[in-house]
Amino acid sequence: MEKDIKISIKHLYKIFGPTPDVGLEYVRRGMNKSDLLEKQNHVLGLRDINVDMRDGEITVIMGLSGSGKSTLIRHLNRLIEPTAGEIRFGDEDVMQYDETQLRKLRRERMSMVFQKFALLPHRTVLDNAGMAMDVRGKKTEDYEAEARKWLARVGLEGNENQYPHQLSGGMQQRVGIARALVSNAPVMLMDEAFSALDPLIRSDMQDLLLELQEELKKTIVFITHDLDEALKLADHLVILKDGEVIQQGDPQDILLNPNDPYIIDFISDINRARVLRVRSIMTQPDRDDIEYAGDITEKDNLETVLSRSKGDTSLTFRVVRDGQQVGALTMKDLTRALVPTEASSERDNRAN
Amino acid sequence: MATYDAVFTSLGLEDWCTEGKSDAPMSMAQLLSKAKGGEPTETSLWDLPFPSMDALNKACPAFPQSRELTKGLEEGFLAVKDSMSVVLDPITQPLSWALDGTLYAMLSAPWWIVIPLLLAVVFVVSKSWKLVGFVAASFVTLAFIDYYTYAMQTLAIIFVCAFLCVLLGVPIGIAMSRSDMMQRMTIPVLDMLQTLPPFVYLIPLIFLFSVTESKLYGIAIILYAIVPVIRLTNLGIRLVDKDVIEAADAFGMTPRQKLFKVQIPLALPNIMAGVNQTIMMSLAMVVIASLVSAPGLGVLVLRGIRNLELGVGLVSGLGIVILAVILDRVTKASLARINASQKH
Repeated sequence: MEKDIKISIKHLYKIFGPTPDVGLEYVRRGMNKSDLLEKQNHVLGLRDINVDMRDGEITVIMGLSGSGKSTLIRHLNRLIEPTAGEIRFGDEDVMQYDETQLRKLRRERMSMVFQKFALLPHRTVLDNAGMAMDVRGKKTEDYEAEARKWLARVGLEGNENQYPHQLSGGMQQRVGIARALVSNAPVMLMDEAFSALDPLIRSDMQDLLLELQEELKKTIVFITHDLDEALKLADHLVILKDGEVIQQGDPQDILLNPNDPYIIDFISDINRARVLRVRSIMTQPDRDDIEYAGDITEKDNLETVLSRSKGDTSLTFRVVRDGQQVGALTMKDLTRALVPTEASSERDNRAN
Repeated sequence: MATYDAVFTSLGLEDWCTEGKSDAPMSMAQLLSKAKGGEPTETSLWDLPFPSMDALNKACPAFPQSRELTKGLEEGFLAVKDSMSVVLDPITQPLSWALDGTLYAMLSAPWWIVIPLLLAVVFVVSKSWKLVGFVAASFVTLAFIDYYTYAMQTLAIIFVCAFLCVLLGVPIGIAMSRSDMMQRMTIPVLDMLQTLPPFVYLIPLIFLFSVTESKLYGIAIILYAIVPVIRLTNLGIRLVDKDVIEAADAFGMTPRQKLFKVQIPLALPNIMAGVNQTIMMSLAMVVIASLVSAPGLGVLVLRGIRNLELGVGLVSGLGIVILAVILDRVTKASLARINASQKH
């Protein structure tokens, strides 16, 4: 079931420097990032980005620092103006917006969560959560109930009258998320929202986000440099490197069929059993007389199946959805899927 | 015969020189040399005078002397003074009213109203009983030795001038923070105002306004004391966390909302530090401004110097120190309260 495309980016370029248009010509003719910096003294931010973000999905944009992911997310609400390209929101062209329309977009249709929280230090948690409403000119009484509701939903009941500096990092980011939710915008942009948090709290926040998403079905664009986080959250994964998209698609798919040595390097470190799900590797049974060791769902990860099998590789499990069989999973296939994709030779050299 | 005769002869300007025979009054040196009547001896290279206006004038009487430069400046200033006064007088008149009004109000109200009122203000901004006690003790001491009137005059002038400095300085600082062009244009002016010796402010003002008007010293104080509040407002707004500004943009704040809801509140600690400096500099200038009829403790200091009344000079100096400590502590206490309320 394909969902509607909510945000669509087409042929987006961003070049930083005094004369970006000149730089753009060179980039279109195929000049690479380091040459552009060396010869033209311009920095290539993004090159020919094409991404479709679907309604109600979490699109994760992953890349290391300097890959242009933060630049990319800021193009969606035009905090950064592109050098060339098209940004569409539904069937509207964001690039054609005037100042008022743009402000309306930012106020009502896109909210944002920041890596460094970016809360107003002189306002209470409640006021911070209601910031989007305050910007729209609403009075405190009008948004108070809504703000309290969402603060409670992210687990901050009772902290409403505190100031941000009295809260821990994780709690501050909860305020950041509540602020984005109170704005009631259909799109949430999350710029490395959990990167500043310690691993345990980060995992909690990811669960919270998934839980909220289950209920709210917002269109979320999530930026991260952490592959585990990306694989956990993503419905659609976009991998950026040096300002270019090197692969995008279903995260399971990318994991099983990486098309670039860079991605292979990336995924060689992760726990495949935890990330891969049954639906990605199950097969259609060719016989009827298979003896099934048990029922599993397609959403289960391989780790769960492994522990159910207790290491017996001769078993076959039945994959069911809503009581109906949709496929079968042999432990042989499972083991095969766990074989790590060959890391690139470059990485081996580095390791030696 | 002067050193630079040869310059004018070689340029063929002898005629022009002798033609305009200088009838300017002779300088003392000229008079002396005339009286001696001695032939000017050949000057050695060691004594070669710099080819200044005066030296050149010796060789060529038609060349202007340097005192004509200052004279010309003075005449030029006096020539435009009247037309400047037509514009400046009405604009600055409210300053006179404000100063006179505040002085009148503070002096005509009885001490048992003024002192408790000031203490109440101290408590409201600082929320510290200790500070209120210190201020009360200071005022009682000053009043006990009959310096109450002078101290109140000084305070009244500082209140008016510092208030106007903030009123004018904060918007200028905001304008500077929003435009680099404005900043480039304003900074040299601020540098000049800050480095100009305080006495120099008084010179053109004396010519522009009458010494009997209170705005004369009011303007001098404001010009001198406005610099820190402008600078620190500009700095404070420019230093506001970029991430918070970005968040404000991302949530669609208008520039106006951003200014009042984010930038000014977050720049407040810096702005308050500027206000503190402005008040302290007003106090410094109000003493100097006693030279141009500003009332207050400065008058007593001046009396101490002029009449060699050592005791008066020392006690009034001490009074100024007490006022300085009070103003500094009170503004610092309110600054500390603001800082405490918005830690990051």
